This record gives sequence, structure tokens and C-alpha cells, in this order.
Amino acid sequence: MSTAEQDRRLMWKGATTESTAKPSGNTGRIYIPDRILDWIIPVSVLLAWEFLARLGMLPPNWLPAPTVVGQTTYQLALTDLLKHVGITTARVAVGFLLGASAGTLLGGVTGYLAVARKLLDPSLQALRSVPSIAWVPLFLLWLGIHETSKIALISLGAFFPVYLNLSAPMRQVDPKLLEVGKLYRLSGFQMVRRLILPAVLPEYIVGLRSGLGLAWMFVVAAELLGASSGIGYLMVDGEMTGRAAVILASVILFAVFGKATDWMMNAVGRRLLGHRAG
Amino acid sequence: MVNNGFDQRGTVNIEIVHKAFSGSKGTLVALKDILLTINPGEFVCIVGGSGCGKTTLLRIIAGLETEYEGAVFLDGKKLTGTGLDRGVVFQEHRLLSWLTVHDNVGFGLAGRPPEERSRDIRHYISLVGLDKFEYEYPHQLSGGMSQRVAVARALVGRPEVLLLDEPFASLDALTRMRMQQEILQIWEAERTTVVLVTHDIEEAVYLADRIVIMSPQPGTVRNILPVRLSRPRDRSDREFVGVSKSVHDELFAPGEMPHLAPDDF
Repeated sequence: MSTAEQDRRLMWKGATTESTAKPSGNTGRIYIPDRILDWIIPVSVLLAWEFLARLGMLPPNWLPAPTVVGQTTYQLALTDLLKHVGITTARVAVGFLLGASAGTLLGGVTGYLAVARKLLDPSLQALRSVPSIAWVPLFLLWLGIHETSKIALISLGAFFPVYLNLSAPMRQVDPKLLEVGKLYRLSGFQMVRRLILPAVLPEYIVGLRSGLGLAWMFVVAAELLGASSGIGYLMVDGEMTGRAAVILASVILFAVFGKATDWMMNAVGRRLLGHRAG
Repeated sequence: MVNNGFDQRGTVNIEIVHKAFSGSKGTLVALKDILLTINPGEFVCIVGGSGCGKTTLLRIIAGLETEYEGAVFLDGKKLTGTGLDRGVVFQEHRLLSWLTVHDNVGFGLAGRPPEERSRDIRHYISLVGLDKFEYEYPHQLSGGMSQRVAVARALVGRPEVLLLDEPFASLDALTRMRMQQEILQIWEAERTTVVLVTHDIEEAVYLADRIVIMSPQPGTVRNILPVRLSRPRDRSDREFVGVSKSVHDELFAPGEMPHLAPDDF
């Protein structure tokens, strides 16, 4: 064996020992699992916040301690919190169902029929360029201050992501897969049901998830703009009465419920997508 | 071997006068004056360089191209579109990512009674050697395995003709050679007519009863060579090499350089 070859062998050996070692940077130090790393900043912020609040360094009417926010939530729960949460969730559910259904219907029609796309898509895209909150005054004027205008706003929020994530992917289904359908002489309806819809399902589920996210965003806007119930109303009430703890409790409730419904939607999506790749 | 009566099924008569594609850069004549009869149970390979129209010819037989002058007959019946009497395997496996191997193979059998359907699917999955993978999804399979599923899908409807468009071109060399052996075994078991398009001369000589050599611009049949070697064929055999050389000479006739043609259309 020549020396050059020996050198190479040594280098090669060196390389393997290095690559099997722990990721560089951790060598010789304490290894912290990612799960714990994730929690370090939120927990320390909460602790610092609590500590500073208890020391009286944070004005309690601006930023009450986390424990105070917790107590406030508990007290609200003893009175009418459930009602407010229920009403907000119902608004999101109805608005999302209406918006997502319209998005599915129009997305499906424009995705499948070129004529419908040419007819409808430019107008819908034009409407999309209006920031949705800008419709609020008109909705209030047309539909009044009660539920209808709120539901309309939430539906509008949920509509576009669903529409966009169905219409465009349907047009972009791989023509090579459609040829497989053609080989087996599938009818137009079978083509949609057996090839096009399954092919666009991942994108469609992404659309539903972002539609649901926007529905939660718009319920906040709708309830802030005038409501006598709902989590958004609690916020306004907290603001009017100068109770920062109520506002913070509402913020947390929105976060928790938004995340919970997203998680449910994601679980449904994963179930529908089965064992697919990606 | 030659059988022009229709007592055995799977005779393909090709009478294509003219097939052109018109695009932004003008009209391109893809095929011109193609007269070809493929006998029942025959294994025919169509060989040619890029742009000679060999894929177009296969797609016309499959019924995927219907705008052309002329006609193609299967057992004397004029073909007007796609049909279950022809099974097709493309260069890409074209499996549906959301279906298991079982459901991919059974994709075209929707109307059948479930037990018969399942039995046929299992039979062909086992014929291509994928029994253990029946309920796997395409992303869990290798390229060669995916292509086997595509072959099973093409065969499960018991077509009279199996059409293969460069089916092994994207596989590695060793897998390709295994697949060539397997396709011969399948052909011997099923006795369907097989038309395989390839640009690989060795593949054609290894597989075919007859090799149809095509030349481009416009795509026409330059020559048809029978391969009278017994199977299994040995690629290093002197006669094998001799046939390969004559196919090669036909493709690159004296004074002619390999065409720099647009990619397969």
C-alpha cells in the first residue's frame, strides 16, 4: 500500500468518526432536546412578566400579571364566558361553511369549465384585490348591525382561499394523469371524481385551513366593530372598562380556539390524505 | 406465425397517410405513409431516433391521437379512440399517488363485480412479482417496481394489444435488463400482441420478433427487420451483435448523420 493510499484511508476514517459524532457545537456540552428548547423563551418571558408585575414594575391596569389574567378568565368562566365563546364559534362555523361552500362551488366550476373561468375569474380576482375589511361599511349599510353582516364578512374571508386553492390546482392537474383516465374511457364526471378531485385534495385542504384561519380573523374584526356578545365583545368591554386582564384573556381565548379548530381541520385533512407522500 | 385471418385476436393494421402537428412555428409532419400489419401474438419493436414519430405512432394506436389522415384497425375493426382492448404503458409510470398498488392496478376495472376484480388484480400483481407490495403506495416503490405496477395496470383488462412507449428508458441499466426479461416472460404467459417503442437498439433486438425501423422528417418506416434468433437471447452472441449492427446501419444509412431533430412530440 502506498503512503498516498494510506493517507487517504486515514482521511476517510477521520471523516467517518467526525460524521458519526454529535452535531458540531454540541460536542462536549449538555445536550438539550428540541422539545425543551421550544419552551425556554415562552416560559422565561412568562416568569419575568409575573415577577416584574409582582414587584410592581408593570402598571397593573396596562399589563396585569399572567396569574391575574388566569384568575380573570376563571371568573369570566363562572359567569357568561361560555355564552360568548359559543356565539363566536357559531359565527365562525356558519360563516366558514357558507364561504367555503361558495368557494368550493365556484372554484370547482371555474376549475373544470374553461368558459366559466373566463367568465368569472377576472371579476373574482378584481374583488379579491379589495381588502376585505373595506366592505364593512357597505355590509353594515345593507345588512344592518346584527348577525347577517358579521356572517357575510366572515364568509367573504373564508371564500377566497378556498376558491383559489381549488380553481387553480384543478386547471393544473398533470395532463399525463388525465390521459390515463382517457385510456380507461372515463366520463367527464368520473374524470373529476376519480382523477381531478383526488389530485387537488392536498391543495384544497390547505385552502380550507387558510379559509378557517381568515374566518377567525374576520370574526374578531366583525365583533370589534359592533357586537353585544362574543369574545370580540368581551375585548371591547374590557377596553371600555379599562380591564386589561379581560382583553388579554380574550386574546388568549381567540388563540386557543383558532388553534383548536385548525388542529381539527388538519386532523381531518391528514385522514383524507391517508398515506400519501408529502 | 403469420395469421391474417382473425381467428386469433390481436391483429393491428396500420394505414396512416398523414399526421401533422401545427404549432406556432408552422406545421410539422410527424408521420407519412405508414403501412404496417402486426400479427396476433407478435412482439414488434419500433426503433428510431428522436422526432421520428415513433411515439406518435404508438399514441395513434392507443387512441390518444385521433386527428390524422388514415385508419388503424384492430382485428378488422376501425379504431376511433381509446379502449380497454389496448393496454398502454408510458415512459413514466403515471400511477395515481393516492391509490395503493392494488387500486392503481384496478383503476380501469371499475364496473366489474368486486370478487372478480380483486382476483384479476391479484393475478397481475403477482405476475409482475409485487405480491408483497399490494397495499403500498407509489411513493414507497422504486422506479422499476412502479413500472411493473404500470404493466400490471395495462394488462389487467386483458387487452388484445399491449402498447409500451419507451417503458424502461428511465430505469437504470440493470433494472432495465431485468424488466426486459420479465416483459418477455409476461408476453409468453399472456400471448398478447406487443408493440414496444424504443430508441435502444439492443433492447429491440433482445425483445422483438420484428423490428420496425423509422426515420424522421417526415416519420416513415425505413425498413422492417425480422429477428430470427431463438429465445432466451444472449446479448454477447455473435448473431445478436450481427442483427444489432444491421439495425444500426439502417438507422444511420451511409452519408447520414444522426438527425438533430426536435424532441419526441
